[in-house]
Amino acid sequence: MFRKIWTLLSIVVMCTLVAGGLWAAGQAEEEAVGPGLEAPDEFDWRAFEGETVVASFPSHVAYDAAVELIPEFEELTGINVELDQVAYMRLNDAQLLEMSKPRGDYDLIAAVVMWKLEYAEPGLVRPLAPFFDEEGLTMPGYDFDDLVDAYVENTGMVGGDKPYLGGEGAELYGVPLGAETSLLGYRADLFEEHGIDVPQTYDELVEVSRYFAEEVDGIYGLAMRGASGHQATHSWLMHASPFGASVFDENWEPTVASDESIATLEFMQKMIEYGPPGMTGFDQDGQFNAFLQGDTAMYLDASVIAGPARDPDRSQIVDEVAFARHPEGPASALSQTGGFGLMIPSNAQNPEAAFLLMQWLTSPEIERRAAMKGAGPVRYSTMEDPEMQQMFPEYVVLREQVDYATPDWRPIIPEWGEINQEIGIGVNEVLTGAKEPREAMEEVEPRIRSIMEEAGYYD
Amino acid sequence: MPSVSTRSSVTPWLFLTPAFVVIALILLYPVFSGVRLSFFSYSMRDFAVGADPTFVGLDNFRHLFASPHFRNSIRVTLTFVGSVVALEMVVGLALALLMEDEKLKGLRLFRTLFVLPIMIAPVVVGLVWRFMYHPSYGILNYFLQTLGADPVMWLSDPGMALPSIIIADVWQWTPFVFLIVLAGLQSVPKDLTEAGIVDGCSYLQNLFHIKLPMIGSVLLVAAILRLIDAFRALVVIFVMTYGGPGVSTEVLSLHLYKTAFTAQRLGRASAVAVILLGILLILSATLAIRTLRSERR
Repeated sequence: MFRKIWTLLSIVVMCTLVAGGLWAAGQAEEEAVGPGLEAPDEFDWRAFEGETVVASFPSHVAYDAAVELIPEFEELTGINVELDQVAYMRLNDAQLLEMSKPRGDYDLIAAVVMWKLEYAEPGLVRPLAPFFDEEGLTMPGYDFDDLVDAYVENTGMVGGDKPYLGGEGAELYGVPLGAETSLLGYRADLFEEHGIDVPQTYDELVEVSRYFAEEVDGIYGLAMRGASGHQATHSWLMHASPFGASVFDENWEPTVASDESIATLEFMQKMIEYGPPGMTGFDQDGQFNAFLQGDTAMYLDASVIAGPARDPDRSQIVDEVAFARHPEGPASALSQTGGFGLMIPSNAQNPEAAFLLMQWLTSPEIERRAAMKGAGPVRYSTMEDPEMQQMFPEYVVLREQVDYATPDWRPIIPEWGEINQEIGIGVNEVLTGAKEPREAMEEVEPRIRSIMEEAGYYD
Repeated sequence: MPSVSTRSSVTPWLFLTPAFVVIALILLYPVFSGVRLSFFSYSMRDFAVGADPTFVGLDNFRHLFASPHFRNSIRVTLTFVGSVVALEMVVGLALALLMEDEKLKGLRLFRTLFVLPIMIAPVVVGLVWRFMYHPSYGILNYFLQTLGADPVMWLSDPGMALPSIIIADVWQWTPFVFLIVLAGLQSVPKDLTEAGIVDGCSYLQNLFHIKLPMIGSVLLVAAILRLIDAFRALVVIFVMTYGGPGVSTEVLSLHLYKTAFTAQRLGRASAVAVILLGILLILSATLAIRTLRSERR
């Protein structure tokens, strides 16, 4: 009996050894092919070998691409990366919970730009300057200045000219990854067929929308979000900058019932009139589908649509879509900024290793490789690269657009979540025709004021 | 040595103790801390930085009753609950009466089919109805257009959104009423209805004077269970409209969710929860009292 068990055990052990050896050989071969980045001699990639970085990432095209590349980082540095990837709506709660503990489980988090003040002001995340200043921590060839300025300010800067902006006294808390601005997407085939020029101003945008809706059978004007709450607020804010409207004046007094804001809403009412049926209930998916299934001639919103537009599973217009700059409004040609930024929690257990991963993921070469997998670029050099432009023609437009991207189109203050809802209800009521623009906004304004008053902005 | 009578009076309590402890831990403690929190101002941010809640007395409640959104959500909830429960009771009872006859062919198959909607997860129900209501690709507008009618903006028209949600809820929960009422009808002794027929009762007389009075307590239980459930309805509405257009479908539970997780006011959200709990307690107490009374009879 013992003999039998002994034999069986020996066989199992031998099999394990052989399998392990074969696997190791395979690994060695992969290593010979080479990791993504060649390590120069002077930088010690393996300084944090054996440490574990736990990352809280969203399900988002930029992060999906990054996740595919992370095994190469582990190979290069000997750092073990564990991922907690969830739908972005669930990130906020999970991250707050982890960061409230004395020792958190997360070493690197991807935060939506709207949460940066919520994280940075009470000191839940670390300023990044000490990391960049420390000798031997910044990887060679990182080139921070190559990151799009507006994205850096939007995702990372806290405590400058306004609490959520750069400027004097501002500190850097995050680095953009999966950041975006707005672009005009249009159906090149339809525009050519009808001999129409791509709209460069909001007036032309209205006229072209009207033309398609009224003159072309089965095609509507512009795909826009309109659903009550965040979606409607997003649309209104994105058009508000070109019309010169804003949520607050310089004293934090709400100005959503200003003439500029009313003009913005009147423009949006026209877009509803010339848009596909049911647009007042569209969230981002509804908006994407309306454009990608060929219902509308145009799309004006986040640049992240470039990826899905090229995906034959999601898009019927793969070969017909083209991009142009966000049209210029009566007041400005500014476009939005949004998306995610990488941050390091104050209670991270391996912050240096996390900083290494943060840099590696946003480094020029890894960014280019992630871009091939559909992630939107956050570096000037990627957008300017002729080879990349060949593959992704929208990079030419994107490069021009980021110079007009403003980090100050949306007030990122801790009270924003509630204000966002209030504005979005009012805007949606205007779009569905339940209320007139001025009537709706004059009801919203005092509600915003009372939220701000309660938060102590007027003391 | 304890006497037999002492032992027998203590033993049942000993057996009950573990259950009491468990209930106190998982049920009473959260309820009490929720009620307590409704008198405080507390945000997710306070929680993250470890700040203590600030006592604000009845401020949260005062603020709620002054808020047009809260008053609106009460109105929407009452409309929603009233409509779904009335419709589900009427349709469920009608279906049960139709299916009551054991000799009907294919009865078993129909009963199984009718029960399917209850089994489907609410998120899936919400998504399926959202697709069916889709303004351009939805099957409902497809049929309307085939018939030559104008498409209906089911979920994006402020006047249509609440009725659309009511339809979805009635679709999902009528079978529940149907099942309970059917069981009640089958327990009505056959000789009573047969005696009625012999005495010359019409179908309606038989229904209103014999069957319905006999299953009165069953109908009450079904109605109260549906009432309680309808007050808590969240997921289907969350998925279908998220309270829109405007705030036309924002029921109390959704208002609670938004207060807690969008506005991040945990104290005020607790106040909404306390009000909702109060309403539900009254309903449950009614249910318990009526059931006890009918049992005693």
